[in-house]
Amino acid sequence: MNVIINRVAEFLRKHPPFSFLEEGDLLSVAQSVEISYLSKDEWLFHQGEPARPHFFILKEGQIMLQEAGEIREYCDVGDVFGILALLGKRPYVLDALAGENCLIYAIPVAIFEKLLEKNPKVSLYFAAGFAAGQVVFKADLEKGQEARMEFSRKSEDHSLLIFSGQSAFRISKNVLTCQPENTIREAAQLMDERQVSSIIICNEQGYPLGIITDKDLRSKVLSKGISPDKPCSEIMSSPVITRKPDTAFADLYLSMIKNRLHHLILTEDGTAESPVSGILSDHDILLSMGNSPAVLIHALNNANTIEEMAQIRDRAETMLRYYLENEVAMDFVAGVMTEINDVIIQQAIAFGKKHLGKDYPEMEEVPFAFLSLGSEGREEQLLRTDQDNAILYGNVEADLKEKAQEYFQHLGSYVVEAMLTCGFSACPANIMASNADLVLPLSKWKAKFSEWVLHPSPEALLRSSIFFDFRVISGSLALGDELSFHVFEEIKKKPVFLNFLAKNALQNPPPLGFFRNFLVEKSGEHRDQFDIKARAMMPLTDLARLLVLYHGVSGINNTFKRFEKLAEIEPNYQELFTQAAKAYEILMRMRAIEGLQNGNSGRYIAPEKLGKIQRQLLKNTFGPIGELQDIIQVRFQLDFFRS
Amino acid sequence: MSWWPFRPEEKKESFVEEYLALFESSIPPIRKINQLEFIVLDTETTGLDVKKDHIISFGAVKIKQGKIRVDSAIELYPESSKSLANTAKIHGLIKRENLLSPKTFSQKLLSYLGSGIIVGHHINFDLEMLQKISSPFGLKSFPNPHLDTLDLAVRLEYGPHINWNEIPMREFGLDQLCERYQIQTEDRHTAAGDAFLTAQLLIKMLKSAETKGIDSFGKLFR
Repeated sequence: MNVIINRVAEFLRKHPPFSFLEEGDLLSVAQSVEISYLSKDEWLFHQGEPARPHFFILKEGQIMLQEAGEIREYCDVGDVFGILALLGKRPYVLDALAGENCLIYAIPVAIFEKLLEKNPKVSLYFAAGFAAGQVVFKADLEKGQEARMEFSRKSEDHSLLIFSGQSAFRISKNVLTCQPENTIREAAQLMDERQVSSIIICNEQGYPLGIITDKDLRSKVLSKGISPDKPCSEIMSSPVITRKPDTAFADLYLSMIKNRLHHLILTEDGTAESPVSGILSDHDILLSMGNSPAVLIHALNNANTIEEMAQIRDRAETMLRYYLENEVAMDFVAGVMTEINDVIIQQAIAFGKKHLGKDYPEMEEVPFAFLSLGSEGREEQLLRTDQDNAILYGNVEADLKEKAQEYFQHLGSYVVEAMLTCGFSACPANIMASNADLVLPLSKWKAKFSEWVLHPSPEALLRSSIFFDFRVISGSLALGDELSFHVFEEIKKKPVFLNFLAKNALQNPPPLGFFRNFLVEKSGEHRDQFDIKARAMMPLTDLARLLVLYHGVSGINNTFKRFEKLAEIEPNYQELFTQAAKAYEILMRMRAIEGLQNGNSGRYIAPEKLGKIQRQLLKNTFGPIGELQDIIQVRFQLDFFRS
Repeated sequence: MSWWPFRPEEKKESFVEEYLALFESSIPPIRKINQLEFIVLDTETTGLDVKKDHIISFGAVKIKQGKIRVDSAIELYPESSKSLANTAKIHGLIKRENLLSPKTFSQKLLSYLGSGIIVGHHINFDLEMLQKISSPFGLKSFPNPHLDTLDLAVRLEYGPHINWNEIPMREFGLDQLCERYQIQTEDRHTAAGDAFLTAQLLIKMLKSAETKGIDSFGKLFR
């Protein structure tokens, strides 16, 4: 084979989408390449020009894609651009300017189009918006995830099918049912005949009224000496939790985990007011999985020591890694990990109360709420990064004040230490329940939030914003609700607070590309690394928090769920919010994988170590950030707003 | 050029006549550089003596409208008059079945060259070697304009008035120039590989020449 064509093919082979081509196709593409050289500040094409019969891949140098003089994106070596020509035969929507001397390979559209039809991976690559300059298309991040999974899959692994959708998982459709008037004995006989562990009690229309399981027969009938001739309605568990059969497997499984259900009943419309159509038992699921969430949570609930919990938390990390690498849906992954972290905290509190109880008997009745802040508060803490927490307790009589403060601070310290034992890092800013300033009665917490809302200095906001993501992990939900209500009332009274919060949310402009000096940290320990938390995740978290506070939405803490909610509230920005939610999920996953691989927080990523696909995917997540920030700028009139 | 003026005149083959006919009109000096067609070539030879040594392989690629056209890349392997066994010992990789007779080689070569501008590093050496193969068919010389990337490089760095005695020639080898122009050197010492490197070198140098006002055929060949 011709050395020159080989040389060109060699370069193309390293970069998607060419990397997906078969050798013969690759060589025919390589053979059709035209190589041109642009010196710095020369234009390759201009906005509005009719599409050339070529698209481009950068061999050397840097190309800046601009719109009205503003840089939209940087293309680095190996980036594919000018792709609109390939896809739509439309005029260019951006200007392409050489930021450095550039060697550019032009590939004829005509040749590539044939391959596009032939090779689904290649078309998926373009559909997912990996080519640079495609942001204007609204890079479809969902396709991006799909593509990443497709491209990263090394071998066919059938054990993953359990997560890929219901079709792969067997749900019993032929459900055993009986009427409420049937006797317990009859129900038991039916179960025995069919060799199943549960029976659903239905009314005449087939609507589920309750459920009886093996365990009920044991604990409600035999041990209590109840006559098996009584109607089964007397012992059935009722009401039942139901879901629609076409719900994603992850959601079904999550509702079982959250509600501690062994059996989940599926009905035609998902409510108890429609006929039963199937049943899912945790036994089947357990059999199909090793380190399953249910097993781990069960083990945590039965742990007797903190050390035991620490070991289980390590196992959870193995499971997390498996989930992340196999693209299990992020709301499921985050849901499971949050549940696991929550159980650890709940258990630690229970241990702590037991430990302190004999010295503070009078505190038994004082209501309190253990609050998680920041990422755990937002139900998105996957890795054991900094713990941020606080304690809120009910107002107490004057004579008990000191005692209460002492007790809850001891309790807080106990939990913080337990978390440290379980591998969570300490918060460098000391935002922890062991800090006396953060163990306060309701009245003082209200005052603290009022102060933040009334006097929102930029520094105060920087430190306090994570408090607005608080979530009650254990104790009195009512106390938490009262505090939330107070916060919303205060903001209503002083809406200008939101302008300050908005300003705070715009502090980090989104990056445009990679590699070029301004994107990575310039000095210090993380020199030349990309701070995914500060640069990409925090802006999204801040934007989501701001907008839910603006809309007075409470009870949704998760950043991507907040965006999903916002998409409902503001239908005109539906697409943008949906993209933002997706972007956040991708960032969470990426950071967690990075952290797991390197045994750290995953916060700093070395761009050159990411694969091409990962890099593009990461780059695409920046799109929604910029757009959202523009909206915020206008909505909160930040151009006219001086703090 | 090294042909002997007193050598008996070879009769011109028709393909040589056709090739020579392309040069009846010449390129107007004002033609812009990006409108010119360049043929960047290199040869791999058994040695540096034009009389004794001969070409093992020929590689070339064309530049049209400022773009290296990969689809124009060719490699040709002429048959050698010397013992093939001897050659194979040195260059074991040559595929013998592809070897071209001097006549076929010359036919392919001339039709490929056309009237484009021939470019190479130390191009005169390559042209002498090539002429030697084609001379039995009546080719006395290549009338194409030709450009040595070495000369152009020196001109770009030392200006138009060159005292060749002052030029550190060691710094103008293909390797050194590639390094200076940031071209990755791979496939060195295969004819096509070197031709490809030289082509990249040329498009970069022409861009630099343009900034110095060398933007037309006339100025390039002043």
